[in-house]
Amino acid sequence: MRLTNSRYGFLLNLPGLLLVILWVFIPALILFLTSFLRYDNVRPIIFNGLANYKNLLNDRLFWVGMERILVFSVGTTALTFLGGLIIALALSGIARGGGILRSLMIVPWAVPAVVSGIIWKWMFSPDFGVISDLLMKIGFIDKPLSIYGDPRLAMVGVIIADSWTRIPFMGIILLAALLSIPTELHEAAKVDGASSTNRFFYVTLPLIKGPLLVGLLITAIFSFRTIDIIIPLTAGGPGRATYVFGFYIWDQIIKTLNFGMAAAASVVLFFLTAAIALIFIYYLRK
Amino acid sequence: MFDKIIESRALSYSVAIILLSLMMMPIYWTVVTSFKPDIETYVFPPVYFPKNPTLSPFKLLFESYPFADYLRNSIIVTVSTTFIVTVTGMLAAYGLSQYTFRGSSLTIYTLLATRIIPPLSLLLPFYLVVTWLDLVDNLLSMIIANIYLTYPFAVLIMKSFFDAFPKELIDSAIVDGCSRTGALLKIVLPVGAPGIASAAIITFLWTWNEFIYAFVFTSTSKAQPVTVGCFDCIGDIFVNWNQMCAGALLAALPGIIFVFIAQKYLIRGLTAGAMKF
Repeated sequence: MRLTNSRYGFLLNLPGLLLVILWVFIPALILFLTSFLRYDNVRPIIFNGLANYKNLLNDRLFWVGMERILVFSVGTTALTFLGGLIIALALSGIARGGGILRSLMIVPWAVPAVVSGIIWKWMFSPDFGVISDLLMKIGFIDKPLSIYGDPRLAMVGVIIADSWTRIPFMGIILLAALLSIPTELHEAAKVDGASSTNRFFYVTLPLIKGPLLVGLLITAIFSFRTIDIIIPLTAGGPGRATYVFGFYIWDQIIKTLNFGMAAAASVVLFFLTAAIALIFIYYLRK
Repeated sequence: MFDKIIESRALSYSVAIILLSLMMMPIYWTVVTSFKPDIETYVFPPVYFPKNPTLSPFKLLFESYPFADYLRNSIIVTVSTTFIVTVTGMLAAYGLSQYTFRGSSLTIYTLLATRIIPPLSLLLPFYLVVTWLDLVDNLLSMIIANIYLTYPFAVLIMKSFFDAFPKELIDSAIVDGCSRTGALLKIVLPVGAPGIASAAIITFLWTWNEFIYAFVFTSTSKAQPVTVGCFDCIGDIFVNWNQMCAGALLAALPGIIFVFIAQKYLIRGLTAGAMKF
């Protein structure tokens, strides 16, 4: 007996579909159910209605996390965009040796995020930090700086470290987009007397708009859920200076063991991410 | 004048080299520190070129921490995940790209949606399931989690490569008496090899680099992978920074090696996967 093509295609996808159902839908279902339970590993588990969500909105720490993630996510996305665009523009003008330079550009992407956090912690070290020394050498500061003593500096440090891991991806997709622009377009604009700045804004930018939005979307939604680079670097400190929203979920799971609250916060993260994605997709479709 | 400067090759090279040197600084610093003796590690201003490079941080790392166990666990989890994801993902991508079935576009949308779900928000239910199944501190729990984390992207990458195939290639093979599965083995595998390699490498690196699920699912060196191991080492009150950098370097090594030997596949895979929105 021979299967029809459509049955055959379905059969090939069956293992994967089972994986997705087992490992995405069931956990998602458990998550939503748990978010309605009083499940704090102290008292017996009972159905609690919307109490977790109410507690969440009344928790000052929840709002601290929200504020920090907003600053962090916007900062990271902006810095990543800037860094990625400049590197991509520079690399697109290079033919010889471009391969090795491209490899160098991707290296930070390939380093485990938690390891990046460790490396940056060492570089930001208040006692032996190479960053302090370099900044002192160029005369930017006159004594070693500590990101662990200043809340603003801590946020800047965390944004720099996280952008370092994200610039490669942005660079890759922008470089691919830049290289796909036909050179004739630039030649034609040049003949018409357009300056290089004008050509950038009226030729290059509109042509890379799609990939650019995708890059921004991915950077925004990925930085929105980041904690693994911050855990070793500042652990959310000093005080709560870098306590991004992910830490709220993380602490409920591994420290306070209030699983009901963790679930409610996870559901919020889930919907916020979906909202960011939808906004970008809307602009992308336009 | 301004235009000439902006367009000159020299400017491209200088900007690229300055920016990439900055980007490489953390890597350089890790490598240098991992070969420093203690007296050159704990000084300020720091030593930029070690005067007496030594391997002792690596030696001490393996003596004072179960680092060999961490590496073993990482290798088992990563290789198993990559194998399962690449094989099942390849079949799924072949099906999605060549044989539309009822629900095939729904399948694609589901895969895209699972890419957007933050892994952190499914951490709790996964952890609950892992405790119910008594899989805490067991490598299997991490393999399961990593399959969920990498499968959708792997399928999307391979599908975009298979989509680029001329349909006639597969049709003519089938006309010539080749079965559909035969066409998969004889045509899709060899011609689609770059796509499969891209997906496999990216899956490998994501799994190797994963931290938060592994951290929550494991508690001893029996199952802890290298990312969790590194983090445990900085939990001490006094951090041995040269040993720590040696550990960081070992943890980052697979990524760095792949970036240099398989740059083309990585770039093609990441762009192909990213454009699938």
